[in-house]
Amino acid sequence: MKAKKQIRIFIVDDNNVFAHVLKADIQTAFAEMKIDISTFGTGEKCLEALKTESPHMVILDYHLDGRNAEAANGIKILDQIKKEKPETYVIMLTGEDNIDIALKSFKHGASDYVVKTDTQFRKIIYSLFNLLRLMSAKNEALRYKRMVMAISLGVAMLIGGTIAIEIIYPDFFVV
Amino acid sequence: MSKTEPEFNHLPIGENTGKICDMSYIKESFGEKNNLIIEIIDTFISQVSEELLTINDAVEKIDFKTIRSTAHKMKTSVSIMGISSIKPILVEMEITGESDSDIKKLSELNHKLNSLCSQAIAEITAEKQNFC
Repeated sequence: MKAKKQIRIFIVDDNNVFAHVLKADIQTAFAEMKIDISTFGTGEKCLEALKTESPHMVILDYHLDGRNAEAANGIKILDQIKKEKPETYVIMLTGEDNIDIALKSFKHGASDYVVKTDTQFRKIIYSLFNLLRLMSAKNEALRYKRMVMAISLGVAMLIGGTIAIEIIYPDFFVV
Repeated sequence: MSKTEPEFNHLPIGENTGKICDMSYIKESFGEKNNLIIEIIDTFISQVSEELLTINDAVEKIDFKTIRSTAHKMKTSVSIMGISSIKPILVEMEITGESDSDIKKLSELNHKLNSLCSQAIAEITAEKQNFC
């Protein structure tokens, strides 16, 4: 998959090893694409960055900084992300395969849900690949929509012009 | 993508090599990027050392929540570094921590955890030299 414009991805996970390896894995898997990845250890730091940046995708851990009781969990951060940047796709990550967390994530606007298991990186890459295809399809649909609107406008102007000419010069089209 | 991600239960302690770390996932994924592998190793050593301090402190203070959350967090990093023998201990610590009781068992598990982590850190530090 090739994209001309740069794709911006945020990784929000308090596990530095995981974030580091995931970032490198994404860069390797999508080596032919222009991808810019920022990592954040807390949801709060991610929200701060959202004030000035608009990532296309956020990979967000459900369990954020369990040692800090004041730290916001993944769902709170997801809510804020969708409030500030509703067009951003969010992939929610969690350590356990819990249907309630999955449902809650989707209900709050997550685009996908990945359980951290043996195959976690492959699953995240696959999810990113699908979201990139979705983004590409949406852009293509938008391009066609604009094209159809432009053609419709052109046809409308042509018909309008013809009618106007007929009104102003009734004999214009008479041979 | 043909590379294999780390599996949790494939290399018991002492089998064949006597090593407890299997860094094949990292090597297969980023084999030619030595600087990146060194960065990952440094991040792992620093993070695990910090987490061990946190979990030791939590066991001493009988803080079940911190034991649970730290064990939960450590599972991901040890699996990335292929330290499969530590994963069951962390799972047990997380489960035992859920019950908010049996600090004696948690203390024993923590002792094993510290011992295996020390061995893992020593192995990974030695492995790091191959990438310098």
